[in-house]
Amino acid sequence: MRKLFRSIALLFLLSPGYSPAAETPLRFVTWKSETAQMWDQPIADFEKQNPGLKIIREIGPQSSTQLHDLITQKLKNRDTEMDVFVMDVIWPAEFASAGWALPLDRFFALAEQKQFLDAPILANRYRGQIFGVPLFVDAGLLYYRKDLLEKYRIPPPRTWPELVQAAKTILAQEKDPQLVGFSGQFKQYEGLICNMMEYILSNGGNLWDDQKLVSTLNQPAALAAVRFVRDHIIGEIAHRGVLAYEEPESLVLFTEGKAIFHRNWPYAWSVANDSRSSKIAGKIGMMPLPFFPGGKGAAALGGWQLAISRFSKKSELAWRFVSFMTSHAMQKRVTLSTGRAPARAALYTDREVLDQLPQLGSLWETFKQAVPRPTTPVYVPLSNIMQRYFSSVLALPDTNIDKRAALAARDMDRVLDLVREAPAP
Amino acid sequence: MRSSHRLAFLFLLPSLIFVGLFAFYPIFESFRLSFYRSILTLPWLGQKMVGWENYTDLWTDPVAAQSLRTTVFFVVTTIPLELGIGLGMALVMNEVFRGRGLLRAIVLIPWAIPTVVSSQMWRFIFNDRYGLFNFVLFGGDASRYLAPLADPILAPLTIIVAEVWKTAPFVALIVLAGLQTIPDELYEAASIDGATVWQQFRHVTLPLIRPALLLALLFRTIDALRVFDLVFVMTQGGPADATNVLSFYGYKKIFAEGMVGYGSAIAVGVFLVSLILSLVYLQILKSSRLERTPR
Amino acid sequence: MKRAAMLAIFSVGIGIYCLIPYLWFALTSWKSPAELTAIPPKLIPSFHWDFYRSALEERGLLRYIANSIIVAGTATGIAIAIGSVAAYALARFQLPWTNAYLLLLLAISMFPQIAIAGPVWNLLNHLDWLNTYRGLVAAYIALSLPLATWILTTFFREVPHEIEEAALIDGCSRFQAFYKIVLPISTPGIFTAALLVFINAWNEFFFALIVLTDPNLQTLPVGIALFPGEYTMPWGEIAAASTLATVPLILLTLLFQRGIVRGLAAGAVKG
Repeated sequence: MRKLFRSIALLFLLSPGYSPAAETPLRFVTWKSETAQMWDQPIADFEKQNPGLKIIREIGPQSSTQLHDLITQKLKNRDTEMDVFVMDVIWPAEFASAGWALPLDRFFALAEQKQFLDAPILANRYRGQIFGVPLFVDAGLLYYRKDLLEKYRIPPPRTWPELVQAAKTILAQEKDPQLVGFSGQFKQYEGLICNMMEYILSNGGNLWDDQKLVSTLNQPAALAAVRFVRDHIIGEIAHRGVLAYEEPESLVLFTEGKAIFHRNWPYAWSVANDSRSSKIAGKIGMMPLPFFPGGKGAAALGGWQLAISRFSKKSELAWRFVSFMTSHAMQKRVTLSTGRAPARAALYTDREVLDQLPQLGSLWETFKQAVPRPTTPVYVPLSNIMQRYFSSVLALPDTNIDKRAALAARDMDRVLDLVREAPAP
Repeated sequence: MRSSHRLAFLFLLPSLIFVGLFAFYPIFESFRLSFYRSILTLPWLGQKMVGWENYTDLWTDPVAAQSLRTTVFFVVTTIPLELGIGLGMALVMNEVFRGRGLLRAIVLIPWAIPTVVSSQMWRFIFNDRYGLFNFVLFGGDASRYLAPLADPILAPLTIIVAEVWKTAPFVALIVLAGLQTIPDELYEAASIDGATVWQQFRHVTLPLIRPALLLALLFRTIDALRVFDLVFVMTQGGPADATNVLSFYGYKKIFAEGMVGYGSAIAVGVFLVSLILSLVYLQILKSSRLERTPR
Repeated sequence: MKRAAMLAIFSVGIGIYCLIPYLWFALTSWKSPAELTAIPPKLIPSFHWDFYRSALEERGLLRYIANSIIVAGTATGIAIAIGSVAAYALARFQLPWTNAYLLLLLAISMFPQIAIAGPVWNLLNHLDWLNTYRGLVAAYIALSLPLATWILTTFFREVPHEIEEAALIDGCSRFQAFYKIVLPISTPGIFTAALLVFINAWNEFFFALIVLTDPNLQTLPVGIALFPGEYTMPWGEIAAASTLATVPLILLTLLFQRGIVRGLAAGAVKG
């Protein structure tokens, strides 16, 4: 017997793949970055500080939808091979409800949560628990051609009607047939929700009522906002092509100098100021989005967070990695080297950061007014219904907005009803 | 079992294993799931067996109805175009001339480029500001440029163009293989009898390539009903759901919304439509084989 | 003369149809970043190689191509091997359930692949074949067998029985008859089926996306899907990658199409 045990042990020791100081692998699923400073460097640092731990990276496309397909595939099947993964800002509630993301409250105390910006933390909470740690933050912004506004002595617009008026004035006088007043993202995809909610919320409306669980798309404020977009933004100052635009195409229109106003995320600032690819470098301004009279500016919240899989067998070690990546020092490092806006509030008043990325100072206000899309496990079905509604109203001529809104609200209510009987956590 | 049958079974066994594991089982799973209400993000609802409920919901779902119309429109437009262009290509490639090999290689380029790549290419071509499509139509006059991908009427046409461009070579290849089995003697005999080129085509070529044409028709229809990659990359179903074909709708339900039961029902729906169409084609194929000129 | 002229016109027409979109994209790959999205578009690029350099060095394009060749090549080889054996049985053995089986195979290809992606992933997970070549290859074999079997069965049915019968009478086994007699004659069908299966596997995206997440194993469609940034669309690199990636395919088709022709010359046993 003892001989048997000894030979088995020997076999084990001699078989390839075994090393006495075995490395514990942690599997991290994320998107591929264009720079090594985003993931590679921090991961290398982590491994250096934590000998015995090895991060194995699995990468998917940057496209949020494709990454979602990939990650949910593993989680659906309770894959124990994934420990840490990135989450888009609209996933936490879905993943929490499905039992895919581990509640992080025992690791991520409230006091620590307060170190981060409010909006992302809100997006990561579901029913009193927290499920992700914010890494990067994004929010919708208005970019404009400073040179054109100065030329016609028009102050940067504070309200949407002012913006339309300014655009019309400039268009009439510039006499450039290729110039348009506005460039945004109105393709039938998630970005459409971001754009439209900025109009609706800044008019005092909402996408749906979180407490009563009913759609509010057919309320007057929402209807008016949508009507404004169709009749004035798309109808008067943008061109129909924006109905197929995602961020890249809409930005190109701006950097080619063919758009006066442009709605996009913070990343557009450095791209538009890069004289190698932009014709308007140095001629642009950036400001919080306008609002409707009587309303308040609202910026859609974007960004990425880190989460731990509920099926991971190494949650303690996984947390070590997560807290490392989201620590003050690491966030500062990555912000400085990649320019992405961090989720930690303190970095917005950090001298070093502001010296290198002065625009972060003005972004602070916008990030404070950023609004996450409502958190609910059924966000995606609701988003699909809303996308369909917005796209139909904007793309098809002569649609009856009230009727379509009523239909969309009815469909949304049916989906929201599913969540009504959710058991208490 | 007769020994020849036993031998046949042996010949078929490897196929059966692969097909059984990686095709039958997943399809069976999909069928099974379609009878359940399964919403992944709401696990407290449980995985309830709801019988035909997904199907009745599908029947009354206006989005599904429009999706079906979009898909059928897509199929009845692309198939004749592919067959026509593919047949034309095959006829040219069948002739003997210098550079024929090069032409054959060129013809396969559209088919050889991965769909996720060619759809990006077409998105680039149909771009409303810097795309080739507008440049060809209107030159440098950017004020007249169209935005096909943003227009609910033109967007489906862009998908059709992208699809036909890609798949006509597939048809050409299958028809070409069929054309090359037609012996030259038949043509010689026909021309000795005084038949014109068109008559030779009608009475010699067409009947003999009918099996190949119908094979191409069969597989292309089945594939067209399942079109997904193009929509996924080019339009994501929009604008205004104008390109929301059934496969894409099913994908959104299963992967994006986590409504696995309903999405599986959509997949089964596509399957049933394919099945009916295929049975029709096969009837035609069978009767054409009986009619064929005996060799 | 008239025939030659007609042929020339049609050939050029076909060439334009197939090449223009692709050439436009290829020309794009040589533009400078500024020219890429010029409004209105520029036709002739100024021959920058930046995008190629970026695609090859920073994005590892060659590895994606290599992985695609491995996966598609293996899947094709095995699919044609077992498909032709199966097709032979179906064409020759006068089985009562031949048509039912063919219909069943057809039925498999009627099912939207996105619906079976989930269960297939699950199965591969149980077998521990995720993130391995064999996992994806197995899935591709199953997906291409219907088309391959159909094409090959159709071809084998056309082969006249006499030579085989003679060989069988002389003492050949069924398998030898298949291997030595029927196969060589059917090369047009085999090469056709092989080419179609290869290209189907080469093009496939969704399964590859969810089965291979290890960057060292990812195939070309997934690799190119990784090019876009979160909000950026690198048209230049994508164009460069597509142009490069088509080269092995053009070579392959030039190779294969000769096989189709050779088969015709060697095996015109008709009537």
